[in-house]
Amino acid sequence: MLLLLSHWIFELMGKLHPLLVHFPIGLLIGAFVLEGIARFQKQENKYVGMIYLGATSALIAAIMGQLLAQSGDYQGDLINQHQWLGWGTVGLSLLTTWMYWNRVKLPKRLPFIALGFTCISLSFAGHFGATITHGEDYLKINTNSTQSHVANAINIQKWTTQDSFSTTELSSLNLEVRGIFAHHCYQCHSTAKRKGGLALDHEAGVFAGGDSGEILIKGASEKSEIIRRLKLPRDHEEAMPQKGKVLPPNSIELISLWIDKGAYWADEGFKVFREAPVALSKPDLPPITDEFDHPIDRFVNQYFKEKNIKWGEPIDDYRFIRRAYLDVIGLLPRPVEVNEFVQNTSPNKRNELIKNLLADKENYTQHWLSFWNDLLRNDYSGPGFITNGRKQITNWLYQSLYEGKPYNQMVEELISPTEESEGFIQGIQWRGVVNASQRVELQAAQNISQSLLGLNLKCASCHNSFVNNLTLDQAYGFANIFADSTLEIYRCDKPTGRYTGTAFIYPELGEVMADSLVDRLRQLADIISQPKNGRLYRTLVNRYWDKLFGRGIIAPVDEMDKLPWNQALLDWLAADFIENGYSIPHLLERIMTSKAYQLPAFNYDSPYYIASEKFVFQGPTPRRLAAEQFADALSQTVNPLYYGVAYLPDNPPFPAQWIWYQDRKLDRRSLPEPGERFFRKSFNLESTKPIQSATVIVTADHSFECYFNEQKIGQGADWRQVQRYSIPVNVIQSENVIAVKGNNDGTLPNPAGLLFALRITYADSSQQYIYSDKSWATTNEQPAESWTSLDFAETDWKGVSRRNATSSHWGKLVDFAYENETNQSDFARASLVKLDPFMKTLGRPTRENVATTREGNATLLQALMLTNNDFLYQHIQEGAAKLLAATNNDMEVLIKDFYQNALGRVPSQKEQTTILKLLKNQSKQEVVEDLIWSVIILPEFQFL
Amino acid sequence: MDSTNELNRRQFLQKMQQASIAAMGASVSTIPFLNACTPSNTRKSTADAVILLWMAGGMCHTETFDPKRYTPFEKGMESKKVISTFKSIPTALDGVSFSEGLENIAGIMDKGILIRSYRAADLGHILHTRHQYHWHTCYEPPQSVQPPHIGAWIAKELGPKNPVIPPFIDIGQRFTVGEAEELKAFHSAGFLGSEFGPFIIPEPDRGLASVSPPKGMNLTRFESRNKLYKELVKNSPFENFGSNYQKESLMRSMEKAYELLKSPEAEAFDLSKEPKEIYDKYNTGRFGLGCLQARRLVENGARFISVTTEYVPFFGWDTHENGHTRLRDMKAQIDQPIAQLIKDLEERGLLDSTLVILASEFSRDMLVEGRPGQTVKDQVQVPDNIDNLKQYGMHRHFTDGCSLLMWGGGIKKGYVHGETAVERPFKAITEPVVIDEIHQSIYHALGIPPETNYEIEKRPFYTTPDGEGKVIKDIFEKFS
Repeated sequence: MLLLLSHWIFELMGKLHPLLVHFPIGLLIGAFVLEGIARFQKQENKYVGMIYLGATSALIAAIMGQLLAQSGDYQGDLINQHQWLGWGTVGLSLLTTWMYWNRVKLPKRLPFIALGFTCISLSFAGHFGATITHGEDYLKINTNSTQSHVANAINIQKWTTQDSFSTTELSSLNLEVRGIFAHHCYQCHSTAKRKGGLALDHEAGVFAGGDSGEILIKGASEKSEIIRRLKLPRDHEEAMPQKGKVLPPNSIELISLWIDKGAYWADEGFKVFREAPVALSKPDLPPITDEFDHPIDRFVNQYFKEKNIKWGEPIDDYRFIRRAYLDVIGLLPRPVEVNEFVQNTSPNKRNELIKNLLADKENYTQHWLSFWNDLLRNDYSGPGFITNGRKQITNWLYQSLYEGKPYNQMVEELISPTEESEGFIQGIQWRGVVNASQRVELQAAQNISQSLLGLNLKCASCHNSFVNNLTLDQAYGFANIFADSTLEIYRCDKPTGRYTGTAFIYPELGEVMADSLVDRLRQLADIISQPKNGRLYRTLVNRYWDKLFGRGIIAPVDEMDKLPWNQALLDWLAADFIENGYSIPHLLERIMTSKAYQLPAFNYDSPYYIASEKFVFQGPTPRRLAAEQFADALSQTVNPLYYGVAYLPDNPPFPAQWIWYQDRKLDRRSLPEPGERFFRKSFNLESTKPIQSATVIVTADHSFECYFNEQKIGQGADWRQVQRYSIPVNVIQSENVIAVKGNNDGTLPNPAGLLFALRITYADSSQQYIYSDKSWATTNEQPAESWTSLDFAETDWKGVSRRNATSSHWGKLVDFAYENETNQSDFARASLVKLDPFMKTLGRPTRENVATTREGNATLLQALMLTNNDFLYQHIQEGAAKLLAATNNDMEVLIKDFYQNALGRVPSQKEQTTILKLLKNQSKQEVVEDLIWSVIILPEFQFL
Repeated sequence: MDSTNELNRRQFLQKMQQASIAAMGASVSTIPFLNACTPSNTRKSTADAVILLWMAGGMCHTETFDPKRYTPFEKGMESKKVISTFKSIPTALDGVSFSEGLENIAGIMDKGILIRSYRAADLGHILHTRHQYHWHTCYEPPQSVQPPHIGAWIAKELGPKNPVIPPFIDIGQRFTVGEAEELKAFHSAGFLGSEFGPFIIPEPDRGLASVSPPKGMNLTRFESRNKLYKELVKNSPFENFGSNYQKESLMRSMEKAYELLKSPEAEAFDLSKEPKEIYDKYNTGRFGLGCLQARRLVENGARFISVTTEYVPFFGWDTHENGHTRLRDMKAQIDQPIAQLIKDLEERGLLDSTLVILASEFSRDMLVEGRPGQTVKDQVQVPDNIDNLKQYGMHRHFTDGCSLLMWGGGIKKGYVHGETAVERPFKAITEPVVIDEIHQSIYHALGIPPETNYEIEKRPFYTTPDGEGKVIKDIFEKFS
């Protein structure tokens, strides 16, 4: 911890370098000047103290500089030059100091000359430093230099050097000025907002000016209000812009120039922001080499060569199998699987492993479901469901993934939906009146844009966008496709009285003109999913690349107009995806079989660097386990974490429901009070055929005792443990009664429920089911002793409630099934479980909005939860007891097993000793608990 | 200094800020979306902690802090004659009356202010959770991104006051009740990320458990477990997992949690440490104990605390019937503990720096739902003549005039802002105040500038919509 902390301090100290360098500059140059004057007055060596101080501060500044350079935000030739000169200056200043110290023994002028050299060296170092901090043109603003190399800056010289302008040049000048307006002024002065009555986003607005009059006089920039305001000091009341960055002087000059040249307004529409091409053509593969024959590797190899990057060693088998398992099926490999894989000598074993994992459709689906739920903002609970304002698409999504449905077909079914997939474009209808930009038609347009096309339409849904070239009309044009009747355009939630037709964002792909809603959706689905629409497929392959590498070829993944780090690779992957039947499993296989995927995680300097367009690919970024992966890993290695799911892919053939007695308070339904409740259900046999078997599965929260025709058949006290009983055939009569006594523990009202099913199998293998449902009777009063018998009269008993305040508390128990009727998992996969505080804290999003990236940071709230959360701790306690039982209390075996299960490796001797040492003061149970806790929080466990 | 240098200085500051954010463990994924646009200047603040006393379910102003003519119950009385169902009582402030049952708070009215002209937003269909969402986030649901709770904004901007006390603590609301999903939607840090989300203590008297080592684990073992963890980290082939900043963020947060759970401050969460006579003064139920919890936490350096009477549909302040009878209970729950809280804070010298706010999502009326002259769905049926006590009370949702109280943190003492009409409808008639202004005033007191915003999905998202909420200058002792 100390090391980490001090590292952090160092980094901060490094940041002080730009401040501290001014001390040696001031002191040494000051000393040189003063000493020069003093020498002239024959009073030399008067300012020696200043020199000593200057040298010391130079040394400190240089050390700080070194720390700053190591922080990694800076790289390149300039840094090297600055570094050399900096240390050179330190050397010289120390030499100078030494000379002044020993000046009596040295030639008289020598120290002063040394000081002179120090100052020269210092000036150069300072120059390079300033260039790094302020950019190469930092001197040029005042010097009228003829060149400017600053990327993205406006080249004012291009304009000022010529007197007369052609129309084309005037247009281009105007477009640059409008670009400046867009980036710096639109936020307040656009049609959307009109602060001070001024809108700069169209011709009339610019020339009409604002509340305080016209803002420009054609041909006279010096008399134009806009220029005066832009030039005012920042703290002046009338200075512009009031929010955001100050305009760079060359931008102001450019606006002045435009005004002086008559403020020409270009006819052409202008695009301020980069737009990626929509069309897609498959690039040629770079040449094959002996080492790299995989198409992805051929691109990456070429890229590495250009960037002078060496390929890292591929990760070893242990790491590879863990990575592959977590990426394809979201689970940890079992130790036997790890060993088999490591011992397998087939040269092709990695590719085979990936194929095999992709063939495990159930686990593949249950892992990738989380990604798709995030992307399509599909969830099992959340705002909107309460009033049917929202519909799940879970079943459609699950089946689509399970079947490996081609992506183009998935997109078609999302846009032109079936009853099962319509929840996506239907959006979330909140109760009450919502902001116009959030009406469901606009939500559909926004979500299709973001999720499927990597395009932000949200801003344009309210006003012309400041972040891309989309306009309000385009957003409404798109939304109209989903509307029963044409929508009135609202600007910033105010009606405009205007309407626009239906129009898709990328008209080059085709038109959506049909009269009926159904036909329009069909048209749109066809247009969007056609192979010509490179944007759709680039967006998807980039998302998958991002999932597997921690950083997309384009980042952020929702902004597909950003520059990719390798356009050819992205295009090739998208084209390859189309050529291979739009198959997502194929895409995964394609990427994961590359050597690039098998590179070790690269230690990039900072998250900012990874997110920036400067990013240079050198391998996957380290990835932290997602909430679901972490929960499933706990279920696998410790003890099942979840038992009930919100979505069960295969429903059992009997619709058993949780039932309980309904308490009421103030004539309102309220949570069940603690205490005993009694339940009864009588039934007749459906058949007179002989009975082969009768099996009960039952569970209750908190506990139950179960009777069949007066005979007690069993009891249970943990709702997570489904109990199974066989009823002796001779007890069953033509008329029967099931009686259950349930108990709700605790002192406060809390959820309680009973879940029951009985299957009677007749000799001819026909079956009859009796299960808990509304037909059961219940009471909260202790009944007469005969209450378990068929003859008992249920006087004053009531119907049961199925609508418990928190009936979803338990979910659908995966274990509540007869064998062979549904797939028997050991535990409920977290992706199928309703969002709970545990996963929420670990970063699983609430899916009211599309959420395409997960938080990867460790937070205090997370740490607190991991450290003392009862839910987790109880889970660990139970798991520890189980592990001890499974290993007959043999600690050495247990430790070894657990390390292999959790980390895929055996513990080192040292690790083993460290753990066993604890037995001196603690019980085995406690030591195992602490071992489990420590291991699941290790970075080795948490990171991929 | 010319503007270019100014620009570079800002970039430099930004860079420094980014570095420290990175060091604190921001994640890769949030960064592209979350660009800090926080201005560098800091203002003088008059408060450094906030306690929000949340009257969930719609607290009727005419039955609490803005009483009108008392109309006692009579069988067969006309509904339209019912204005206030309680007598008025005097307060410590001359000429200002409260409704009967709030004697203790009346006694401290000279220490704070009363806003009588708060107007809840017009969100069409009047629904508790939507209005609560709006009150707590300052944005109407839904938004294209998830807006943060005011507590999360404050946690993000000011951070914890005491590094081991979570900066945003949410006391008293359970999320297992009706409309839970709608409640969760705003008890959240939204796009700011779960790091700034609420630390939730649903049961105030069990707060200690949430900051103690796990149940049944003593301190010795807790320490030994932590030691084991560190040793195993040392022995694990570490370098291959996670980049430095990620590992650091994990290790640092684990360390911080460990520090908190064994720190003396954890005792702040332990109400049993409180002398019995004080405990009893607060103990009117969960809300009262929540107030005590809030006081103890503020003493130990909490930043933002919300204490609620808890929203459960049709319970608490949500009186769809039996309003008069129910409000006796509700007032008994809040009166004594709130007064005690203010007195205790003052006695400890904390009131000057702690802003206490009492508010509700909207008010209620016998006849008017929403705004006067509006027809609204799903309003309670009110008969023309009242036959039994059950019908006697304010059962409809009223948005056009509500009471809101504030104490401390630079707020005036003994001042009333705005007024409502004397006759029905009892809407705000002077100096109306809206939620944007309340939020901006709270931020102002805390020194958080109005232009504070983050860029999320490239949209600048301000603390109040467009950063344009106005500070209510009149309520500050010294406005600067």
